[in-house]
Amino acid sequence: MELFFQQLINGLSLGALYALIAVGYTVVYGIVQLINFAHGEIFMIGAFGAFATWTVMGRPADWPATTALLVLLPLMMIGGMVAAIAVAVATERFAYRPLRGAPRLAPLISAIGVSVFLQELIRLFFGTNPFIPSSSWPVRIPGWPDAKSAVPFPSVTGISGEIISIGGVTIQMPAVFTLGALAICTVFLWYFVNRTKTGRAMVATSQDPDTARLMGINVDRVIVSAFAVGAALAAIAGVAHGLRYGNIDFRMGFLAGLKAFTAAVLGGIGNINGAVVGGLVLGVAEAMATTFIPGQFGSSAWKDVWAFVLLIMVLVFRPQGLLGAKVVDRA
Amino acid sequence: MRAIIPDALKLQLRYPARAVGILGALAMAAAVFMPWAYGPGALDNMTLWASPSPLQLFFGVLALLVLALLAIPLVGKPKLGRWAHILAWNTSAKTSAISALAMAGVAAIAIAIELGGVVNLDPGAWVALVGGVLAVTATLFLPDSPPPSLERVKSAKWLQITGIALGMAAVLFGAAYGLGLSDAGAFLTFAAFLVGLVLILRQFGVFDWLSIAAANNRQVLVLSAFTVAFAFPFTQDGSDATMSVAAQVLIFAATALGLNIVVGLVGLLDLGYIAFLGAGAFTAAVLSESAFATIDFHPPFVITVLISGAVASLLGLVIGAPTLRVSGDYLAIVTLAFGEIFRITMNNLDGNDGPNLTHGSNGIPGIPDLSLLGFDFGQPHVILGIDIGRFANYYWLMLLVMGLIIVVFTNLNHSRIGRGWVAIREDELAAEAMGVNTFALKLLAFSGGAFLAGVAGAVKAHYDVSVTPDQYVFLESAFLLAAVVLGGMGTVAGVLIGATILKLLPEKLRFFSDYRLLLFGLLMVVMMRFRPEGIVADERRQLEFHDDSEELADEVEEELIAHHAHLNPDREVFEL
Repeated sequence: MELFFQQLINGLSLGALYALIAVGYTVVYGIVQLINFAHGEIFMIGAFGAFATWTVMGRPADWPATTALLVLLPLMMIGGMVAAIAVAVATERFAYRPLRGAPRLAPLISAIGVSVFLQELIRLFFGTNPFIPSSSWPVRIPGWPDAKSAVPFPSVTGISGEIISIGGVTIQMPAVFTLGALAICTVFLWYFVNRTKTGRAMVATSQDPDTARLMGINVDRVIVSAFAVGAALAAIAGVAHGLRYGNIDFRMGFLAGLKAFTAAVLGGIGNINGAVVGGLVLGVAEAMATTFIPGQFGSSAWKDVWAFVLLIMVLVFRPQGLLGAKVVDRA
Repeated sequence: MRAIIPDALKLQLRYPARAVGILGALAMAAAVFMPWAYGPGALDNMTLWASPSPLQLFFGVLALLVLALLAIPLVGKPKLGRWAHILAWNTSAKTSAISALAMAGVAAIAIAIELGGVVNLDPGAWVALVGGVLAVTATLFLPDSPPPSLERVKSAKWLQITGIALGMAAVLFGAAYGLGLSDAGAFLTFAAFLVGLVLILRQFGVFDWLSIAAANNRQVLVLSAFTVAFAFPFTQDGSDATMSVAAQVLIFAATALGLNIVVGLVGLLDLGYIAFLGAGAFTAAVLSESAFATIDFHPPFVITVLISGAVASLLGLVIGAPTLRVSGDYLAIVTLAFGEIFRITMNNLDGNDGPNLTHGSNGIPGIPDLSLLGFDFGQPHVILGIDIGRFANYYWLMLLVMGLIIVVFTNLNHSRIGRGWVAIREDELAAEAMGVNTFALKLLAFSGGAFLAGVAGAVKAHYDVSVTPDQYVFLESAFLLAAVVLGGMGTVAGVLIGATILKLLPEKLRFFSDYRLLLFGLLMVVMMRFRPEGIVADERRQLEFHDDSEELADEVEEELIAHHAHLNPDREVFEL
């Protein structure tokens, strides 16, 4: 039983990570019916943005817990969000907006291109200065790490490496941070969607873009804000990922993005609550699979396989997702 | 350009402009016989007076084209007769001049980089550049010509066949020469020449004429294309380096053609296609005579190929059946997830995390060479006194496989099934309403495409000697998709061109390898933005992507009418 609760907690915290990313897929899909393939990369860029902020701040280490939690962590999160939002909005502007109204294949292919491009951009240019011409181009920025391999993520006093135990269950502080972030973000998202003008415009646009336009809603701006909201949450997930695993690398967006998309489908793509529920369910399912599936197939090497098998099962038996999607198959 | 220089000015300046242009062309022609580079290390030794290197001679072709296009009209319109209208003289001259300048520019930059500085440019390069600038400026001031009407010229059958044969011979020569260039600068210069030449020929209307000739003599075209492809190893004289690249290009192209059925014809975005190739490769490896094969059943290759294809298509059915019912977007993600499942599973079936089937990440090495009907693919042969190595053997085998795929593709494309597929691609709801069994047809395409990939994978396993899971990652699927998109979805020629470009450029431009993926991603975005139909456009597809363009619709309609008038000369009017 203890093992069960332990895995439940592990699964929930992993699922919270998926849920934060999944919201981005679902919001964008709900409005423009586009699978934003590059969203996993936005998550990765959020993590690198936070990392860059820390580097610009002079790599502060060993701050006392209060300043670390109240100054360092928020600044890193803001840095990550700024980077993620900037990239997401630019992507929308240059890669997706021109293709609105094109056959559905076009934006999907464009999104794959964006995904590869962003990964390579981080790999090649992180820590190098491409603007200084020199014989050994590109020039390294002193003190900046190279992102060609995994980069150690800064540790934040009070979170990194700390654990609390309740009963026999140990909970790592990064997991608490992830769950807390998800809780706060969900409340914020609920408020944003239901109470703000932009949020209501988003709902209206997802229900019927043409009518929304007739009602005076600036659909372009709504789409941009959908990308921005998704990117902000993905950036928070990026920071949470860094704190949880201790390092980040330019490839991490691919698998995380795929899992998060699975979560979005699981909950019902287009449905924001569904994304949160789907993420948590997926995380728990993954954690449980590694513990309770007997024999060799229960080893952690198979956990990704079980997650994707779940995706295929959902599509067979309940394509509208657990909570039912608001928009499915409008194509 | 039209907007920048007013037509009145062009009319006024047409004589001085022509004179300056001819001067520029003469300068470029003279530059052929001058040294371009200070040292012999750059390009293909351009250091001698009056002894032009091959690349300089190619440049000379462009220079002479400019000269001819500018000088011949001087005889006057009456003497030109109908040729005054058939060729777009001035516009072609402009294209030629720009191509020549571009080629000279690429060569000059390559020389400067390879020898370390602009000082190393000898007078010839400068004369060529100045001549090019003169010619381009001058041709910009010439009045525009009406579009060429070469495709309306009635030509005899022998002429058409000769045209096709000449085109094919040029392709063979270009491929053999370009692949033989080991120097990156020389390769780029040659590529610039080729691109320029293609643009000029297009300006002449040669391609429109050729496409009509090809439509009239389809058998000749197909036969000559295969003859050329078949003859290619004979031009290499036993050189393994080029043949191994060529064989890789063919394997890649064959797989891309299979994907083209799924993506190009039916419009299903399959992002896990490489997994089907991998399934075929692993099946063939496990059933091969390798000491590491885990199944003690080693049928002859003919059987193995069929099993490989069947395994792949079975996987296609398993994945396709649940997902093809829901919206197309899901398919993209599910196939992507399937690709990951495949890779992870192959990694895990190592006896530790699962039953031992694939030896995990080590894969299955030591797969013996193929032996078909007593013919050992690993042994070099001598045919007509020319050494034919191992790679050439596989090249021919892949050529056969590809021929098979092309036959399947074109026949399906023109059958009831193919029309059903296109209908699904264009509007699934409408197709269903018209009685097309959309689910069955989609499933057929999906598992059929998987079968072809499985067959290609079986050959690839023997060609590569070893099979490991990390050869079959998502990026490879993305590359296959890019080949289809770049070349032109739904066309055979386009996908062949796309696959060749994507496989060949990284081989030839090694200095560039770090930025390869970055540019690749950018290329896909830019392609979707500006030319979503690819290099070689399927006409129907082109209309789909530009459905608001009235001009294009008229153009396509006109072309179809012209085309039909050629096919059925007795019918006066053809109604669409």
